[in-house]
Amino acid sequence: MSLLIKGGEIAREEGAPVRGDVLVENGVIKAVGQNLEAPEGVREVDADGKIVAPAMFDAHVHFREPGQEHKEDIAHGTEAAINGGVTGVVMMPNTSPVIDSAAVVGAVLDKARQVSRIPVYTSGCITKGRTGEGLAGIDGMRNLGVVMLTDDGDPVANPAVLKNAMEYATSFGMFFASHCEVPELSGPRALNEGKVSYQLGIKGSPACSEEICMDRDIRLAHATGAHVHIQHVSSAIGMKTVRWWKERGAKVTAEVAPHHLIFNEEDIGEYDTHYKMNPPLRTLEDNAALLEGLKEGVFDLIATDHAPHGEFEKGQDFVSAPNGITGLETALVSLHDRFIAAGEFGWDLIVKRYSAEPRRLMGLDPVTVEEGKSAELVVFDPAGETTFSRDFMRSKSVNTPFLNQTLKGRVDLVVRGSEVLLER
Amino acid sequence: MAVVLDENAMGEAVATLVEQIRATAQRSRVAIVGIRSRGDEVAERVCAALEEAKIEHDYGMLDISLYRDDLSHLAENPKLQSSEITFQMDGAEIVLVDDVLFTGRTIRAALDAVTDYGRPARIQLAVLIDRGHREIPIQPDYTGVKLETARMDHVIVRLKKTDGEDAVELVTTP
Amino acid sequence: MARKDFLDIASLSREEVDLLLDQATPFKELFTRSVKKVPALKGKSVLMLFYEPSTRTLSSFEVAAKRLSADVIDLDVPHSSVAKGETVKDTVDTLQAMRADYIVVRHKMSGLPRAIARQTRASVINAGDGAHAHPTQALLDAFTLKEAFPDLSGRKILIAGDILHSRVARSTSRLFLKLGVEVGFLGPGSLVPRTGPEGITRFTDFDEALRWGPDAVYLLRVQMERQEVQYFPSVHEYHRVYGVTQERFKRIRGEGIYIMHPGPVNRGVELCHEVMDYERSLINQQVENGIAARMAVLYWLKPQTDSEEVNRE
Repeated sequence: MSLLIKGGEIAREEGAPVRGDVLVENGVIKAVGQNLEAPEGVREVDADGKIVAPAMFDAHVHFREPGQEHKEDIAHGTEAAINGGVTGVVMMPNTSPVIDSAAVVGAVLDKARQVSRIPVYTSGCITKGRTGEGLAGIDGMRNLGVVMLTDDGDPVANPAVLKNAMEYATSFGMFFASHCEVPELSGPRALNEGKVSYQLGIKGSPACSEEICMDRDIRLAHATGAHVHIQHVSSAIGMKTVRWWKERGAKVTAEVAPHHLIFNEEDIGEYDTHYKMNPPLRTLEDNAALLEGLKEGVFDLIATDHAPHGEFEKGQDFVSAPNGITGLETALVSLHDRFIAAGEFGWDLIVKRYSAEPRRLMGLDPVTVEEGKSAELVVFDPAGETTFSRDFMRSKSVNTPFLNQTLKGRVDLVVRGSEVLLER
Repeated sequence: MAVVLDENAMGEAVATLVEQIRATAQRSRVAIVGIRSRGDEVAERVCAALEEAKIEHDYGMLDISLYRDDLSHLAENPKLQSSEITFQMDGAEIVLVDDVLFTGRTIRAALDAVTDYGRPARIQLAVLIDRGHREIPIQPDYTGVKLETARMDHVIVRLKKTDGEDAVELVTTP
Repeated sequence: MARKDFLDIASLSREEVDLLLDQATPFKELFTRSVKKVPALKGKSVLMLFYEPSTRTLSSFEVAAKRLSADVIDLDVPHSSVAKGETVKDTVDTLQAMRADYIVVRHKMSGLPRAIARQTRASVINAGDGAHAHPTQALLDAFTLKEAFPDLSGRKILIAGDILHSRVARSTSRLFLKLGVEVGFLGPGSLVPRTGPEGITRFTDFDEALRWGPDAVYLLRVQMERQEVQYFPSVHEYHRVYGVTQERFKRIRGEGIYIMHPGPVNRGVELCHEVMDYERSLINQQVENGIAARMAVLYWLKPQTDSEEVNRE
């Protein structure tokens, strides 16, 4: 596959995008420069006014395979990723059965090899069966390339179990991703404890539930020398907790999801489950603090926590409906629409936090738009528009608050090596 | 839009009505029951005349909205007003009073309402204006004035206390 | 007012509130007649969907519906098991096929009546959903207090008890605020949320609350059995600190403060026995007015006709 991408603004981790041409020959970036000429038979793609960026990587997705394939499967999930400009993902292990052994890891990675057009990584459970008690088959998973251990969906309730796991697995070079909350405080895990939970008459989950557990997990990691990665931070104090520990040299990384930056509890309105996820949407103050944390670098990466659910399931009453919204297809466009277009931050932040750092977290080299590198990039049109209609979505599920909305920006082209994965 | 009955004509109609009812009221005690709205004002005038003639009678008011047969067809239900029946309905000689008699459905509803209060000895009907076009077999016992109208015409009745003046307008629809 | 559903107080305009309060009166007048029935809803079906047990509210709605000549059907739905979302949806589809005109729903899940209302042409009346709302209760409460104080604005009402779990507290306080009544919440600190109700004075001391000068004290039922984790140590302590003790009742009686309660009453917990014979207890009026208020609501709601698309708000 050979292409000449002409006149785009090439985005990088540092600095503003720079205008230039990118010549790809046989899947490798042959040249990056000004006024490049297309050799014989090489197609030109006009990228004038568009961003040419390294393709994105999402370190937190739920593909529901095995066990809940009616919501999503690896095939559809990866196509949804491509639709959103993402060319690599890390799956969460709270499937059915859970991913807690070499057998299941092998099965999902095999399936991915068969049906996915992009590389798929998987995390593994910390505890066997994700029950929070015994340890999972850690070594077996490690041998198949698993580096991230998480019981995502739940915290590890017993700190002694987590401490032992950390002591054990850290010596293998694996790290821990933490879903933080204190179950006894969280109530039915439906929404933030505050003004809206009072009005809607549902017991809310206070921010301190997440913050207490964050602090606990970081301290345990600090005591054991483990690297802990805090998932989906949702509160101002949560952000400050990460920052405080980083200042003291703890080996902690953290991620933030687009929905916690964009939405707050008031958006729930009249029990709209499109705004129901765990951890929940909190307040405007939390939105502001999380954004500040992202800009400052407190958050190492952006991850969507892509959580597909069927319409029937999400159509239940607010407490019964499952938590989560999809994110792979909407992340880049919504971040552009809400923040880049509004001048809050630039493409350097996106490239760093949604492309480079997530890969580094997984021990992978970041992809760059540089001569000699394999071509793995996305062309994004800031002047274009994307309407997230059902037809547009590649995911099996459409549980996103952006459903049928039109946002500013469009993923126009996704390329990986010798394949054009997507072209609009 | 034309005024078909002016204040004088209205006055005459009321007088005619009162004269007819007075004869009955003198023979036996009647209960004058006005049908809201405007039927109650006509009833008040009848009662005033009876009082002047020192004829003893009872007085009541009826809101028949809850007895209408067309409620489910309305986009918005009519606002209810209170009914006031303070006398004993059982054995009473009722004279229902309304401003306009048209299809007869209002009176049918009023009959249902009255009988839910008790079992009157007799129910008679007094109307200030009879505009014809009955849809059920109901006829007035006492009529103030008869008005020739087309079925689709609108008859607008205004009474002093409720509307500020006495007049009846006819709006013809082409 | 041309409204399909009656789900909460928040969605009512001031005009609608004033109309409903005004319209409860003609219905109350019917109660003195020999025939208390009127044919306004003749031929219409009112379905009772009570997922939570309640004889009081259920019978109040039944009487209201029957006095409007409607056909009342009590759908025997499971009380004991947790009725999950899918069961409710299937029930709603069945009701839609049965062409119910009015559905009265009581459920422990907040927000469920609204979800049902979106899926059916029938008029849905919320008879209490979780801790969220109980709008007909609020209506009868306001109507009752209005009988004592025709001009409500500027009056003060103190709502006392387990505010946190109470849909009555939420709806009733909201309605009184709409009507210009000052509202205070009194209860144990663990049961009176700090985040939430705007414009409401929060008290955790009964005597301080009485000094605030309420015209009426509205007592909520307090339950020990509902608690997974304790919110207060014992009913004995609750009564002493937050109940209308004999001591406090003397003061309340002396100041002519009215007492209200949504029922059923827990003697010895929210109030001492003497309160039940208090001449300024409005508790029995509340029950009577409940039927009138519910008749007004049934009269004023308009279900969608078959020709209209099911209302997906």
